Amino acid sequence: MSEASITAADLEYTPHSKDGAPHVVRLGSAKGSWFKQVGWRHIVGIFALLFALFPIVFVVSAAFNPIGTLSSSTIIPRNASFENFTKLFETTSFWTWFKNSIVIAVISSVASLFISACAAFAFSRYRFKGRRTGMLFILLVQMFPQFLAIVAIYLMFVQISELYPAIGFNTSWSLILLFMGGALGVNTWLMKGFFDTIPKDLDESAKVDGATHSQIFFGIILPLVAPILAITGLLAFIGTMSEFIISSIFLTQDDAKTAAVGLYGLIASPLNRNTQFGIFSAGAVIVAIPTVALFQFLQRYIVGGMTAGAVKG
Amino acid sequence: MATVTLDKVNKLYENGFHAVRDLDLEIADGEFLVLVGPSGCGKTTALRMVAGLEDISTGVMKIGDRVVNTLSPKDRDIAMVFQSYALYPHMTVGDNIAYGLKIRKMDKAEIARRVQKAAEMLELGPMLDRKPKQLSGGQRQRVAMGRAIVREPQVFLMDEPLSNLDAKLRVQMRAEIAQVQHDLNVTTLYVTHDQIEAMTMGDRVAVIKGGILQQVGPPQFLYDNPANIFVAGFIGSPPMNLGMGTVITLGDGLGLKFGKATLALHPAVVEDHPALKNWVNRDIAVGVRSEDMEDANLVRGGAPENSTVEATVSLTEALGSEIVVHFDLDVPKVVTEDTKALAHESGADDTGLHTDATRFVASFAPRSRVRIGDSIRVVVDTERLHFFDPATGIAVRD
Repeated sequence: MSEASITAADLEYTPHSKDGAPHVVRLGSAKGSWFKQVGWRHIVGIFALLFALFPIVFVVSAAFNPIGTLSSSTIIPRNASFENFTKLFETTSFWTWFKNSIVIAVISSVASLFISACAAFAFSRYRFKGRRTGMLFILLVQMFPQFLAIVAIYLMFVQISELYPAIGFNTSWSLILLFMGGALGVNTWLMKGFFDTIPKDLDESAKVDGATHSQIFFGIILPLVAPILAITGLLAFIGTMSEFIISSIFLTQDDAKTAAVGLYGLIASPLNRNTQFGIFSAGAVIVAIPTVALFQFLQRYIVGGMTAGAVKG
Repeated sequence: MATVTLDKVNKLYENGFHAVRDLDLEIADGEFLVLVGPSGCGKTTALRMVAGLEDISTGVMKIGDRVVNTLSPKDRDIAMVFQSYALYPHMTVGDNIAYGLKIRKMDKAEIARRVQKAAEMLELGPMLDRKPKQLSGGQRQRVAMGRAIVREPQVFLMDEPLSNLDAKLRVQMRAEIAQVQHDLNVTTLYVTHDQIEAMTMGDRVAVIKGGILQQVGPPQFLYDNPANIFVAGFIGSPPMNLGMGTVITLGDGLGLKFGKATLALHPAVVEDHPALKNWVNRDIAVGVRSEDMEDANLVRGGAPENSTVEATVSLTEALGSEIVVHFDLDVPKVVTEDTKALAHESGADDTGLHTDATRFVASFAPRSRVRIGDSIRVVVDTERLHFFDPATGIAVRD
């Protein structure tokens, strides 16, 4: 179009649609395309939520359903009651199992967290002989699933049980010892990666300021790696809370069992499996509470970005 | 306060890289010494050795009368400002500044007093409760300074503290740091790659290249009497112009064949550079500062005989206070290790901008009316010429 052919009308009013409606530029989403822009995401989200919630709703409803059989349970139970919970508390040693689970999960996750953090700090900050080999070694060990070692571990603990019954079979300490080392490799690698993102200048600055290695570790580095501590701690806690295979081999006496092993015992026999499911569900709901609570508590730490502002940025 | 003495200090890494060679340096009590050089020249390594963050391979390092070779950083009574500032992101500004004092278990009231004093000095008062990420670059820089000041150390070590700031702020902080150092009168070792910082801030400047100390002296002395081609090219902006010439006998004195032009050397120059007599009829590297050249048309009463060169203007840059004129001269280039290192440092070796001609840059008075493409006559102040041995790059003087 040459300049001469532009008329005043062209500049004033430019119809874009066939019916002559003016083309309106909206800021933000236009009315008609709300669904295209945003709405469909809600649908996907709701669908995913339903999908994820279904088993939870199912187990919760089974827990409150007094009839107690799987085949008879409905999503919203008729005559909801605490009967399953009462039965669980009265007929089984559930609270002992629950306590065992918590003790094992808390102690082993905190201890393994601390050990891995120390190891990761060393691997990330110091240069020493065998550093590479050491890191490769723990990675290699981690490649094999833990229950490949069950036979070896079992034989070891047979001896330990004879010599030191206090940390042998049917004690919480046996599992604590085992789980402490269990996820060490993965945790160390995860943390080392995170530690590497903390500028080394911070260490050196603290060093010049007069801080010792432990003051640097506890005072400077640990607060900055809180997100990875939260994540690995959470993973370790969940892992040990729900661990079953090794626990079921190690713990055979009723009062030593963890919740996972104890609850499984309720439905182990095919004879009463269907009728016991209500009680099992009641226990499962209670066991889920600490994990959910921990998740809520740690949520704010799981947000990264703590190091923003440390150096120029 | 204390002196810092480096006696034949070497840093040899395990992979064979020799970062610092036989560094001899003495920083006087309360002196501001700037260590300057291109990147990778070993200046930061030298600083980190003084700090104790890097082992000393051989040599003796003293702070005051104490040999500190094996002392850890915290026992050396030094404070360091890092290029990245290295502020602790989870602590407030106040805690950042106080950290070094808390670690030393100092009395709480004394800590508060010192933090307050440092905050006042650096105008950080209202910011003491903020976290580093809420601060601007200049404020973070000041917090880093504050952290060093409160310690009241014997020595300040600064590792390119201004290189993360934008140009305007850098000029301001440059003055501020110099002021703080002057007020506190603390011995300071300051590392930079910026020769302007070196010139403006230092009581003395030490130029390093490839781990080897090239020259130490007050900034103006280095500017006027560079010990070699590297220092000549590194100190000063625009860098010193260099071209090959031949020393000749001219009348009673000496002269210089500089391309087609002949320059008569001022008797004072010959007196000042007695070694020049040994260079008659030999090629020599000649250095001319841009301000030592002037448009011949501006010289009252005309230019003296044998003091001008002729050229065609390739580019002019009017800066208001002066006109920077670029032109090519018909003299061979000076090519030594030093000029290669300088070209590499400025990035000119891979820009594809280099030509076969020898480019000179002169600063003319703003009255000059030269335009691109003009043929001009340039008066050279032959009293202020610099001469270097083209083989070694070392200044020809005595």
